[in-house]
Amino acid sequence: MIPQNHFLILSAILFAIGIFGVLTRKNAIGILMSIELILNAANINLITFNKFQKTPDGLGQIFALFVIAIAAVSAVIGLALVISIYRNAKTILVTKINLMKW
Amino acid sequence: MMSGLIHLLNSHGLTEDTIIKATFYGIAGLTVLFAFFVVIARNIFHSALSLAVVLIGVACAYLYLDTEFLATVQVLVYVGAIMTLFIFTIMLTADVHKKMSLKINPRVLLSAYAAALILIILIKIINAGPWLPEVKDAVPLDLAQLGRSLMTNYGLPFEVISLLSLAALVGAIVIGKTEKK
Repeated sequence: MIPQNHFLILSAILFAIGIFGVLTRKNAIGILMSIELILNAANINLITFNKFQKTPDGLGQIFALFVIAIAAVSAVIGLALVISIYRNAKTILVTKINLMKW
Repeated sequence: MMSGLIHLLNSHGLTEDTIIKATFYGIAGLTVLFAFFVVIARNIFHSALSLAVVLIGVACAYLYLDTEFLATVQVLVYVGAIMTLFIFTIMLTADVHKKMSLKINPRVLLSAYAAALILIILIKIINAGPWLPEVKDAVPLDLAQLGRSLMTNYGLPFEVISLLSLAALVGAIVIGKTEKK
């Protein structure tokens, strides 16, 4: 059997890569993709604890389902915003969007 | 068929445990590799495709955790729906052929240090923390039980999620539509 810690370390690595992506990407879509990586890392953690610890009624699985639903919702809204920004500012590079900067 | 395959592999001196371990670490390594490619790829379209591979790898990790339903949902929702959305948005906005240079500037280095620091701290915590003892003989929850608890104990959050999805649907249309002249 694969020990619990190895799943947690996989999740930690994905989380750190996601953080790196959020900090370095200039493209707004790239930032959204890095956020998806982070949410996946959180999901792996939830399901790992669901398997290896005693949780009532599969609480970890249900939490992970909700996280997937919210990730889908956030991706939809984020991408709609990206398209809207692109229509107005003609760019999606977050360093170039300075509409609210004075 | 599966037991026949396992028997065949056993006769070659491979136990089921070895196979499980080998495939898991292989898939985990591939997932991390492609996750790295998601954040450093110069072409945003390539990074979207690598994200699809990462999501499938995470679905495989769910299989190792006895949650087949979530693996299915992961593939359907993430790879099927969200990735399609991402690729459509890339097609609609970014110039796909344009390469974005990832220059090694102080900001990227600082971000790399921050991410590495977070990773080191997390791994130290994971290895140090006394976790509750692992439940060895836990029976995986079957789909009927999962659905029942989703409809009874967690009924209210489920309904809130439905409302949220509806709000996001309407909101995305409102944000995305063009203004009438």
